[in-house]
This record gives sequence, structure tokens and C-alpha cells, in this order.
Amino acid sequence: MSETFTKSMARNIFYGGSLFFFLLFLALTFDTESALPDRDNRQAITEKVALGKKVWEDNDCIGCHTLLGEGAYFAPELGNVYKRFGNSTEAIVGFIKSRPENGIPGRRSMPQFNLSDEELEAVAEFLKYASGINTNNWPPNIQG
Amino acid sequence: MTETPSPTTSMDDHARPPGDLAIWIFICAELLVFAVFFASYAFTRANHVELFNEWQQHLNRNYALLNTLALITSSYFVVRAIAAIRDGLRSTSLRWLLAAIAMGALFLVVKSMEYAEHYSQGINLRTNLFFMFYFSLTFFHFMHVLLGMVILGANAAILSRGGYSPENHRGMETGGSYWHMVDLVWLILFPLVYVMR
Amino acid sequence: MKYQSQAVAKPYFIAAIGLFVGQILFGLIMGLQYVWGDFLFPEIPFNVARMVHTNLLIVWILFGFMGAAYYLIPEETENELWSPKLALLMFWIFLVAGALTILGYLLVPYAKLAELTMNDLLPTMGREFLEQPTITKLGIVVVALAFLLNIGMTLLKGRKTVVSLVMIIGLTGLAVFFLFAFFNPDNLVKDKFYWWWVVHLWVEGVWELILGSILAFVLIKTTGVDREVIEKWLYIIIAMTLITGIIGTGHHYYWIGTPEYWQWWGSIFSAMEPIPFFMMTIFAFNMVNKRRRNHPNQAAVLWALGTAVMAFLGAGVWGFMHTLSPVNYYTHGTQITAAHGHMAFYGAYAMIVLTMISYSMPLMNGRKAANSNKSQVAEMWAFWLMTVSMVFITLFLTGAGILQTWMQRYTDTPISFMEAQSKIAVFYWMREIAGVVFLVGLLLYIASFFIGRNDPEAVVTEKVAAE
Repeated sequence: MSETFTKSMARNIFYGGSLFFFLLFLALTFDTESALPDRDNRQAITEKVALGKKVWEDNDCIGCHTLLGEGAYFAPELGNVYKRFGNSTEAIVGFIKSRPENGIPGRRSMPQFNLSDEELEAVAEFLKYASGINTNNWPPNIQG
Repeated sequence: MTETPSPTTSMDDHARPPGDLAIWIFICAELLVFAVFFASYAFTRANHVELFNEWQQHLNRNYALLNTLALITSSYFVVRAIAAIRDGLRSTSLRWLLAAIAMGALFLVVKSMEYAEHYSQGINLRTNLFFMFYFSLTFFHFMHVLLGMVILGANAAILSRGGYSPENHRGMETGGSYWHMVDLVWLILFPLVYVMR
Repeated sequence: MKYQSQAVAKPYFIAAIGLFVGQILFGLIMGLQYVWGDFLFPEIPFNVARMVHTNLLIVWILFGFMGAAYYLIPEETENELWSPKLALLMFWIFLVAGALTILGYLLVPYAKLAELTMNDLLPTMGREFLEQPTITKLGIVVVALAFLLNIGMTLLKGRKTVVSLVMIIGLTGLAVFFLFAFFNPDNLVKDKFYWWWVVHLWVEGVWELILGSILAFVLIKTTGVDREVIEKWLYIIIAMTLITGIIGTGHHYYWIGTPEYWQWWGSIFSAMEPIPFFMMTIFAFNMVNKRRRNHPNQAAVLWALGTAVMAFLGAGVWGFMHTLSPVNYYTHGTQITAAHGHMAFYGAYAMIVLTMISYSMPLMNGRKAANSNKSQVAEMWAFWLMTVSMVFITLFLTGAGILQTWMQRYTDTPISFMEAQSKIAVFYWMREIAGVVFLVGLLLYIASFFIGRNDPEAVVTEKVAAE
């Protein structure tokens, strides 16, 4: 059997196949990029939203929460929290602001980040923007 | 345990497909992907019969027929090329091989014209579920035709440099096998996507 | 050990194991926080423990990959490493930078760390697995480039084998795709799209090339099977990896704002991603069966076979379970993900590093081929403790995930995330116990380097070569 299966053919399949699929992937990426403007809610990205994303990153929210299903699995999904909180940025601000410094005894606790009012509004706007992205109807329900 | 290719033509060896076995592993993997894609298409169509029937009308069956003839012809040319090298007729073989590649190029040109027409009407991969399948299946196949032409081109280059003989032309059999697979896939794709209602 | 410079691998491996212990300690902290919610709060909130856990993982595996390369490239290319001094310098730079980063995570609130490290100049922090300050990331690039230069020059000057070529392609890919960590647009969808070009194209792409080449190397050394056979199968395996894995990236593009066709492309191709892992399992067992000799280092052979099996189960099977988009719609971002992630990472990448250490450390310590019987027995006990406890961790998280998916996502009367979490707490307790057993296994593994140290090497009777 070994004569029928040469190393050089295997090598050619590796290089050829990898190049082939990488090119195909680039073609699909290109199409995705052209499709995004109608799906990614970019018109909602104001300076405030951009600041909100920064606040989100600077406090590593992804370290406990998921956003569009990606992240950590300790705390709830936040891609649809705007909707879950009754389409209210004030409710989001209120929640973050009210986290006790020393947590809730015995329960999973969220830190008090001592954010400024500007930062609080920004991160709420960011989450509102995220809830407007076309995620193909994900998550299946309001609970995230 | 030597690794030199068998000195006899593969057709003389029992129970072994022509060309390198590695390409057959690859061919099987490819056929598996296409089979899954075709099955997905069939399954989806069964749930969206009217959508698929309606939009299928927007396809250009004449172009597709032309492409079918191009690929069948080119597979025939590949067969003639391998027969020629088996008889030691190197330059005849090369001519048949180049003709096969030319038929492949014709396929690509016609397909590109089809795509151009669709795009000019604003139809693309995201238009609806039918066109998602249409573009995915045909573009994936298109790339295989392209890859097949590259492989046949490599065969032609080696052939023109005298790299194949009646005793040893496994590389041509390998490339030919891959090309026949690409043809076979189209022969399933064409009726499935363009014709069946 | 044929070349003196291979010895630079030793510090890399020691650092790797040390960081591995740190990773597990923080894993245990997190596991406890799952059920005792405010454990160590607010000093070490969950997200801080998590970034320490995941970053230690990535760094110890990188140390392992670099050590593996420094060991196998000189041997494969049949010449000394281009610059052992550079390798040692990079070792210390990487270790110190890594340690400072981890200390930064622990000692300072994350937002403050971002400020102190001038993240605003080029913000790259605050994404999963990429929590490192931008300056650390730049440091990683420098270390990676120096490393690639070192082994690249070694390869250029020496014999080019398939094993070393595949290794270097994988490592180069690792470095290239890491560059996408610097791309962090305001557009969340684009941010996520290209984030996967680091993560997926690493662990379901170029890292598999590294895995394959190390496995091939160890199999060549321990079985005596003809290199030609092993190398040609290596090519086929990595061909299938990239053929399935590149478009397979689409299984991360179902619900993040990208077009629907990814549900089809991603499902079809990622469903085939188990194939190369399956081939690796058949390959490993086949080569060992066809062996021409019984190698004295039976522990290394056990690790090699175990890696193939656990990688197939964790990455292949558990991955497949939730890769099809109709399933993933319900399981996305649940404990199913955590279950798959743990077994996949341990089975593929932790184990291949431990395989390499198992094979090479005795040689770097002056043994002819292997450690003493006593030492190997301890090591094999450690293998089983860690591997079996990992299987249980995965099973418990799978149970948790199935229940969570049902209660929170699938049923017509879904309950909230937090409610579901409290209902599946029993699984988390069991997972934590399994995690403690894992730690015991790891400690025994470390002990095995000292047990039987002064005993004579294990020897085996020569197997009659099969014809």
C-alpha cells in the first residue's frame, strides 16, 4: 500500500488545499464585510457608544458576562440586557451604580466600579447599540 | 519499505484506483463535503418549495447546459490524453491535455458571465435562501474547476518536459482522477439546482 | 541529547509546569466562586481569577511550544541551535513580562492597569484571552519574532525535515495570527469577527500543526517506525486540519451579526473538523502497533497515545456536539462551551506539551533514554489522575450545560440565567471535587521528577522486529 501513496502527493495536497481554502475564506470574508453595514447597527455608533465600548473593555466586563454569547459564563448575557431591562438605559445605569462595594454575602457579586456618570451612560448606550445588531434572532428568548 | 511509485501502470495492479492514493483520500473528503451540501440543499428545498421554484426561474439554463457540455468534453479530452501517453505519444497527449484545460477555461468564462448578470440585477449570496445555496454550491465548484485546471496545468508542464512515460504517468492519472471528480460533481449540481422542480 | 543547545528547552519546560500549577490554583478559586459566589470578593473578583487562569494557560503552553521547538529543531535539522543565548534571554524576558502582567491583574483594578500601561494609546485590552496590556502584547511579538529568527536560522543552516518544516509553519502562523490581537475597532461585530482570526485560527488551525509535528517527532523516536511513513501521514493530517478548519471558523459566526450563510458553511466544514483528530488517533495507535522496538520511556508513549485520544474526544467529539447551528442556537455560551473547552485544551495542547516534556526531560537530565521504573510509574499515575479527572470535569459541566440549555433557552417557560445557575450548583460542586483530584495528579506529576531520581534507568527487552 505504501507505494501508492507518496509523501510528495500528501505535501501537495497540504499546500494546495490550505491555499484553496484560505482563498475561499478571504472571498467569504470580503462578502461578509460588504454585508455588514446592513446588519451591524453601525449607524448607532456615536462617540458615546465608542466610549461605552472602552469602558466595557477597561473594566473587563467580558470576564464575567457573555456578549452575543461570547465571554465568561459567570454572569448573564448582556447583548439583550437593554431589552430585558425594558428598553431602558436608566435601568442599566441604575443596576451598575447600585452594586455593593463588598458584594452580596454568599452570592455571585459584581464589583462596584465607581464609574462616572458619563461612563455609566456610555456603557448603557453601548449595550443598547449591541442589542440592535442583527444576530439572526439570537438569543432564543429574553433571558439571554 | 521503498517509496518509489510502482513501475507498472496502476491499471495492472488489482484493486487500486488510478493515480496516487493520497488524492483519493482527498477526493473522498471533497465528495463528502459536496454530498453534505447537496443533502442540505435538498432538505432545505423540501421546506421551501415555492421559494426555490420561483427563483430557479432566474437561472440561465442555456449557460449551464453549455457548461455541462464543456466539462464532459474536457473529461473526454483528459481520457484521450492519458490514452495517448500510454502509447508513448507525448505531443499528442499534451495537445489533448491543453484542450481539456481550454474547456475548463470556457467553463470559468461562462460561469463568470452568469455571475456578472446576477450581480447586475442586484442578486448575490445574501439575496435569499435559494441564492445562498446557488452561489455557495456553484462558487465552491468554480473554485474546484480552477484548482483542477492548476493541477492539469502542472501535469502539462511536466509532460512537456518529458516527465511522463508509458511506464510512469501516475501524476497524470492523479490529476485526471481529480478532474473527473470535478466533472462528476457538476453533473449532480446541474440537474439538482438548475433543472429539478 | 545529541546537541548541547537542546538544553535551553529545560528552563522553558520548568517555567511551563510552574505556570501550569498557578493556572490550576486559580481554576480551583473560580470553581469555588461558582458555588460560593463572593469567595475572595472584592479582592479577587471572578473576572480577575479568570484572566489569571486563562492567561497562565496560554503562556505556559507557549513556553511549552517554544521548549519543544528548541529541543526538536536542532535534533531534526542536525545542527546546534543558532543562538542559545538569545533563547535564554527571551526566556527571562517572557517570564518576567508574564509575571508582571499577572501581578498587574491581581494587585491593581483592571481599569487602573489599563491607565498605568497607557492602553489609550492603542487600546487592545478587555477582550477574552487578550486581557494583556498593549505593552505586554508588543513584548509577546518581540519574543515571538526572536524565537522564530532563532529556529528559522537553525533550520536554514541544517537538514530540512518535514517535522521541522511543519513545526515552523505552525509557529509562524501562531505569530502572524496574533497580530490580529492589535485590531480593536469600535464596531463590535468587526471586533468579534477578527478576534476569531486569533483564537480559532490558533487552536483549530496552526496550533494543530504544532501538535502534529511534536506527536510525529515523539512517535519517530519511540517507535522506530520509518520516518517516511510518519511524515507522509503528518502531511495528510495537517492538510485535513486546514481544509476543514479554515472555513470551519464560520461556526463562530452564527450569532454575532454576520450573514446567515455562515450557519451553512460553518456547520458543514466544522462538522468535519474531528476528522484530522480521528486520523491522529488511528495514526498514533497504528505507529505504536507497528513499532520496531519497545522504547524504555513507556510514560512518553502513554502521553502520546493519551494526547491523541483526549484531543479527539475533547476537541473532536465534544466540539461536534455543539457545532451544528441548529444545536448551537440553544447551547451558545453555556456550560456546554466550558465543558468542550476544558477537555479540548487539556487533551490537545496541555497533553502534547507534557508528552514532549516526558520524552525529552530524562534525556536532558543525562539519562540514555528514560527515567527509572519508579519515576515512570509515578508519572503514569499522574497521567491517569489528571486525565480521568478531566473527563469527569467535562462530564459534570456537560450535565450542567444540558440542564442550563433546557431551563434557560429551550423550554417555553425559560428561567433567568441566575436562577438556572443556582439549580445546577450540584454539578459545580462535583466539578470542583474533580478539579481537586486534577491538582493532586499535577502535584504527583511534579513529584515524579524527583521520585526514583537516583534509581537506574528502565530497560526493556528488545522486541523482535516485525517483517
